[in-house]
Amino acid sequence: MTESSLIEVKNLKKYYEISQGLFKPKLVVKAVDDVSFSIKRGETFALVGESGCGKSTTGKTLLRLTDATSGEVRFKGEDILSLPYEKMRSLRKEMQMVFQDPYASLNPKMTIRQILLEPLRVHKKYSPEERMKKIVDILEIVGLSRSHLDRHPNEFSGGQRQRIGIARAVVLNPDFIIADEPVSALDVSVQSQVINLMLELQKEFGLTYLFISHDLSVVEHMTDRVAVMYLGKIVELADTEELFANPKHPYTQALISAVPVSHPKDVKERIVLKGDVPNPANPPSGCTFHTRCPFVMDKCKSVEPSLTEIGNGHITSCHLYSKNKEENINAIIYS
Amino acid sequence: MTEVLLEIKDLGIQFKTGEGAIQPIRGVNFTLKKGETLGVVGESGSGKSVTSLAVMGLLPEKKSKIVSGSILFNNEDITHLNERQYRKLRGNEMSMIFQEPMTSLNPVFTIGEQLGEPLKQHKKMSKKERKEAIIKILKQVGIPRAEQIINDYPHQLSGGMRQRVMISLALLCEPKLLICDEPTTALDVTIQAQILELMKQIKAEKNMSLLFITHDLGVVAEMCDRVVVMYAGEIVEVAEINELFDNPLHPYTKGLIDSLPTNNARKSKLYSIKGQVPKPDEIGKGCAFANRCPYAFNKCVESAPPTFSKGEHLSKCWLQESDRQVNIQ
Ligand SMILES: Nc1ncnc2c1ncn2[C@@H]1O[C@H](COP(=O)(O)OP(=O)(O)OP(=O)(O)O)[C@@H](O)[C@H]1O
Ligand SMILES: Nc1ncnc2c1ncn2[C@@H]1O[C@H](COP(=O)(O)OP(=O)(O)OP(=O)(O)O)[C@@H](O)[C@H]1O
Ligand code: SF4
Ligand SMILES: [Mg+2]
Ligand SMILES: [Mg+2]
Repeated sequence: MTESSLIEVKNLKKYYEISQGLFKPKLVVKAVDDVSFSIKRGETFALVGESGCGKSTTGKTLLRLTDATSGEVRFKGEDILSLPYEKMRSLRKEMQMVFQDPYASLNPKMTIRQILLEPLRVHKKYSPEERMKKIVDILEIVGLSRSHLDRHPNEFSGGQRQRIGIARAVVLNPDFIIADEPVSALDVSVQSQVINLMLELQKEFGLTYLFISHDLSVVEHMTDRVAVMYLGKIVELADTEELFANPKHPYTQALISAVPVSHPKDVKERIVLKGDVPNPANPPSGCTFHTRCPFVMDKCKSVEPSLTEIGNGHITSCHLYSKNKEENINAIIYS
Repeated sequence: MTEVLLEIKDLGIQFKTGEGAIQPIRGVNFTLKKGETLGVVGESGSGKSVTSLAVMGLLPEKKSKIVSGSILFNNEDITHLNERQYRKLRGNEMSMIFQEPMTSLNPVFTIGEQLGEPLKQHKKMSKKERKEAIIKILKQVGIPRAEQIINDYPHQLSGGMRQRVMISLALLCEPKLLICDEPTTALDVTIQAQILELMKQIKAEKNMSLLFITHDLGVVAEMCDRVVVMYAGEIVEVAEINELFDNPLHPYTKGLIDSLPTNNARKSKLYSIKGQVPKPDEIGKGCAFANRCPYAFNKCVESAPPTFSKGEHLSKCWLQESDRQVNIQ
């Protein structure tokens, strides 16, 4: 493990078995299928990709909110997947998560005051007066106020609930935050406040983020490196600027081209993908993207491409870029 | 002059809550022309959904009340139609695609059964004709294997497919007005791109009018001819799409555009509008945006600005008073 990485993920797999009834074989969903990456201290690492590709599962597995099928996750050098429960529990204050679904992630019976005080109490941080000051500060930072303290989550809009979730995660000043679509439910004006907040907190406390999002303009703005996932696998990984300037995998190219324009006069060459994301319980053979890929070749239907470095930390798995000479010509034509 | 399909005048809507009555819709004015796509953008809670529910006659009956103004559809006042009269319009002349796709499809009925319902209600068709119409519309929205899908239940479809079913449900009776409330917010960008493309194409074919509610300015830029901007229950700006992006007149709109990540240098602090939307009971006598506005001056706190017009470009901001006309660029 390199000195500078805070968290290192190796060959992580999370398979879900889905029962089909008594006499039918179980279906296996390979939600995360052999994923490896590492995140440097202070870095913001993005996971992007379509719904169901395994982003949230990856995040939850890192925090052991769900058990991995196999693989290794090292946090500050320690393999947390084999850590005893008590040690993991105390590590939790260093690793927090902001959830995607603001409705499900807040206890409807608790007031905002209770929701925000709970983590501070559980981890015995600050004196009671300091705790109150801290949670009021955090509330204001996320765009709410003291007057909301005694309300319950159901009295807030979806956007406001998400802000409460963010407040709850940052209130402990953790080292590492997994933010799962933290701003997706927010208004543009509040979204920018929250992104600024995340950037500020990062500078101040050297926070490291795993930032899960499908909003590519936000990812482009605030992250350092990006991994693109498709059906449980990383298909491309590169520095953020490099990825947006020079996407290699046809899926990444389509994804970036699908982002709405930022001005009505902008015209965009759009690669409109045909069809939906395939059923993850029954993924296509070969390259799992081949059913939607505009550049599909015969080989793609049977042979699974492996991740190959194509320059300075930029890796992708696509036969267009394998070492074969003839295919390299294709790669040049299509990229 | 282009004909107007929908006209909303000075609409005010009240809700009864535990703590008394609130009025989240305080004065909504806009017109939607025939064949036009009008975007509605605005902060969460600004009243976009409530306004569209009012148009559809779907406000919760006991809890809410239209306290002022009127809604004209095809030059007919529909503000106080009763449920029976509304049922003739809804799903027929006007339909709506809702914010949450899952809640609007009934999980216990097949796709075919759900799509058959509005046809039974509004069109005199035989069973066979209905089935044909349903398959045709499903194919139009790009659903493969339409013949089989009509026997499937909603949970058997992916999110993108469900949203397509919603769209086909809304289009079934060829409505004159289609209201889309965040139709793609729950979808992936690649699927969003497909759906937006589809909606543009269908709109052009059927010459419908679209009221397109979204908080995504990028989607607005792609889809809309004109835009109304809502803030705290009012319309604060109305403009043609290019005009809105190039020359926003209301400080809230300008703030929104400036906060887009694409309008800020990478990794820089994003421009952001300070503070938060006032709650209905916090709105004083002045401009509802005054507490967050970087341009606010005395008058803004003292009295609420009326709507000023610069040609077709409307804005509710004292900066646009004729002797002032401040340029906020
Ligand atoms: N508890 C579970 N049991 C069975 N399958 C699951 C479970 N959780 C997730 N899955 C499946 O694993 C796959 C990955 O899901 P995951 O939630 O990680 O996707 P995601 O990339 O976060 O998607 P989204 O963008 O919609 O949040 C999906 O096919 C999902 O249906
Ligand atoms: N049934 C209801 N009872 C009481 N208040 C309501 C009800 N429905 C809506 N409101 C209030 O009306 C206001 C406008 O809500 P609306 O749903 O129209 O917002 P919106 O602009 O669609 O927001 P979003 O972008 O979050 O969908 C909000 O302040 C909301 O709390
Ligand atoms: S009226 Fe005043 S406070 Fe309101 S938007 Fe205009 S300048 Fe700002
Ligand atoms: Mg997820
Ligand atoms: Mg709404």
